[in-house]
Amino acid sequence: MNKHLTRAPAAILAAALLLTGCSGGTDDSGGGGDDPVTGGTVHMLQNADFSYLDPARGWDGGVNAFYRLIYRGLTMQAAGDSEDPNAMVPDMAESLGTPSEDGLTWTYTLKDGLAFDNGDPITSTELAFGISRTWDPEIGIGSPYLRNVIDAPEDYQGPYISGESNPSIETPDEKTIVFNLIEPFPEFDNVVAQVNAAPFPVGSGAGDEFINDVIASGPYTVDAYTPGSAITLVRNEHWDADTDDVRKAYPDAWEFEIGLEPATIDERLMAGQGTDASAIGGKVQPATLARLQDPALADRVISAEAYCTTYMGMNMTKAPFDRLEVRQAINLAIDRDSLVTASGGNQLAEPATTIIPPAVNGHKDFDLYPSENHAGDPEAAAALLAEAGLEDGFSFTLDIRSQAVMQAQAESIQQALEPLGIEVKLNVIDTSTYYETIGTPSQQSDAAITGWCPDWASSASTMVPPLVDGRVITDKGNTNLAQINDETLNARIDEIKAMTDIDAANAEWGEFDEEAMALAPMAPLLWEPSVFIPGENIANYIPNTSMTDLTIIGLKDPSQS
Amino acid sequence: MIRFLLNRVMGMVVVLFLVCLFTFVIFFVLSPDPAVQICGKNCTPEVIDQLRANLGLDQPFWSQFWTFVSGLFVGRTYGSGPNAIDCAAPCLGYSFQTSQPVFDMIAQRLPVSATVAIGAAILWLLAGVSAGLVSAVREGRFADRFITGLTLTGMSIPNYVLGLSLQFLLVVTLGWLPFPQAVPFSEDPVQWFSNYLMPWIVLAVGASAVYTRLTRANVIETLQENYVRTARAKGLSPGLVWRRHALRPALTPIVTIFGMDFAGLLGGALITETVFGLNGIGKMAADSITKNDQPVIMGVTLLAAFFVVIGNMVVDLLYTAIDPRVRVGSAA
Repeated sequence: MNKHLTRAPAAILAAALLLTGCSGGTDDSGGGGDDPVTGGTVHMLQNADFSYLDPARGWDGGVNAFYRLIYRGLTMQAAGDSEDPNAMVPDMAESLGTPSEDGLTWTYTLKDGLAFDNGDPITSTELAFGISRTWDPEIGIGSPYLRNVIDAPEDYQGPYISGESNPSIETPDEKTIVFNLIEPFPEFDNVVAQVNAAPFPVGSGAGDEFINDVIASGPYTVDAYTPGSAITLVRNEHWDADTDDVRKAYPDAWEFEIGLEPATIDERLMAGQGTDASAIGGKVQPATLARLQDPALADRVISAEAYCTTYMGMNMTKAPFDRLEVRQAINLAIDRDSLVTASGGNQLAEPATTIIPPAVNGHKDFDLYPSENHAGDPEAAAALLAEAGLEDGFSFTLDIRSQAVMQAQAESIQQALEPLGIEVKLNVIDTSTYYETIGTPSQQSDAAITGWCPDWASSASTMVPPLVDGRVITDKGNTNLAQINDETLNARIDEIKAMTDIDAANAEWGEFDEEAMALAPMAPLLWEPSVFIPGENIANYIPNTSMTDLTIIGLKDPSQS
Repeated sequence: MIRFLLNRVMGMVVVLFLVCLFTFVIFFVLSPDPAVQICGKNCTPEVIDQLRANLGLDQPFWSQFWTFVSGLFVGRTYGSGPNAIDCAAPCLGYSFQTSQPVFDMIAQRLPVSATVAIGAAILWLLAGVSAGLVSAVREGRFADRFITGLTLTGMSIPNYVLGLSLQFLLVVTLGWLPFPQAVPFSEDPVQWFSNYLMPWIVLAVGASAVYTRLTRANVIETLQENYVRTARAKGLSPGLVWRRHALRPALTPIVTIFGMDFAGLLGGALITETVFGLNGIGKMAADSITKNDQPVIMGVTLLAAFFVVIGNMVVDLLYTAIDPRVRVGSAA
């Protein structure tokens, strides 16, 4: 399976003579329009390898997009080209889940014609088994939602150690699966859309079985995998398109080329030599942006809006950030316009005034601390500081990552606060230890710049609460950097989370965002969109900074791939 | 000879053990907690504790070190019960980040680094030694001064600058070479060759400059030896003087440094591999350091040390063959 470069010294000199004219010619048969056509190979150029092929282990934006090609679940995020790409839609289930009256039981019915890549049928038993792998202490290190929401016996440790699938997941017949929850969770459709809710044949996947190979349920399966270098996906012949309303699976194969420098990826996609015309990559590097103004390239450039908010958390356990006026003054004084410039210009950043970014459902547009052109209002800030008795200013320490962009952002904050007599001391922390440090209350300084993204974008329930819920403050891995513990906010979180009408809940999350920002536990700084450039032969590519839907991408002319 | 070899092997084991110990101490004491890094978003202290237990990080230092060292000789078992995974000797452990066996990761990437090292070594040896000889023969003349200037330039350009400049010039601007792409030799020899051509040149430029200077200095020094003067005086032809009396002793130090350089390069050309996206040992080292992937860092460090120690031993053996003045007993 693994492909190695082999030594062949005798052929080296001969090969040297053939160096010119090596990019293969193509004919123009088939395709040619702008719409995707079935067939061909889509190439993906990327820097880092995917974390794990096993969905019980991996859980991040990049690998989630990859899993969508090879695994299926009961529900999933809608297609990238749909009206609301954040929405939840059925996948292997005939419809979204049906909750019981008390909200403690959710029932799903599976579609007919579902099969693994070996041809074995997928029934509720395989699904319950696959989901139960999440409780295994050594394997289930991915998304925590299944474990946190679905009930399980106290000593349950997954199907390998405990010897059976989680008994709280019932399978009354081959097509029906019933989940018993610890407590009501109105967004349970999002929980079973988590990547680790994929089906697997009973008994498979113990130990390291899924480290280098997979048992696929999606439209593709792994043909070859060289860790850190390459992955080839080919069609799963047993995937039935009639059972799948979302995945289009146009190409016959996918080639992932791993280990490339981001700058090289940009160069290759811009040049589009040979198969690179049928390639996509990650977000374009800031240094490349200027070259994309070239009219020959501009047509191919696509911008994708931000799903995360970059913010400065203010530690409310430390003076003077324990004073509301001070936190509000900071919010007023920060020059977000200059922050945009520091972050690479308006293609790569826009001023943030709310916690929930516009791309996430539940966003409400408001600005409690307005200023002209978002350039800051030092006068209003000075007045608030005077109210707090700090008209002469103060000094505080700001934690930042050792990364050029974040240092530029911190310097912009330093400059904006200096006229108010506020001295900002920068505490530059190595990237590898940054989150560990700021997530440990005993180690964090007065403030920190970081970002937060929701675990799903169909609601703001995973966007705001982790940042302001006083009950989630922990000694390690803390996400509430302000350490705000406000009873009113906590009660509101419980109230909105209990709402079963998700649209109504989202409207409330928008209100909640404003209520939280009135207490100013943080200063939202930026939303950072990304720019992408696909190859010329790529069609239906809708990049997304949260998770790009690879399953709808195709080629205009498969013969060129 | 057997005693000499035994001594060298013993020394090798001690050096490797010390490298192992120091690397372990550095990453045990100084590095951030890998469990926290793996845990990522939505992490809780309970999950961190579970991950630490899974990775064996909850054990005391000496226990972890002993498990690692004994795993090299007798293998070890990871996990427990139905999830137990046997790691056969020499077990270098599993990557914290990807759960891949480190030994397999190294085995997959070693051919890439070996190809880089062999190609570059051939280039720099040919270019360096021949330029050094020309420089020595033409000492003080234009060719000598030109080559000396060129070597100074070669030594002064950092690898990453030369690598990126070459790529920009030959691939992006002139289009003479295609972008490096991951293809095996059997599939597309032209692409394969062009993938390696730039890394070979980049590594060879700096190294050949050193070899030119070294060869030049050694040859000039040897040519001033009394026995060379005697050979000339007794009427031997210049070619014979060169071959028989000057070249052999002049090249002995070159063999020493070549063995060390080549062995070091087998352990991975970190910058060059990274610049050109070659998935060799060097790039694996760079990636594992940024991700704090301790088992991979340990594996790569041990491998690099192993190659250097072996390279040293081979050089010592070659020395005895090349230079009859070196006696086995005194070398030990």
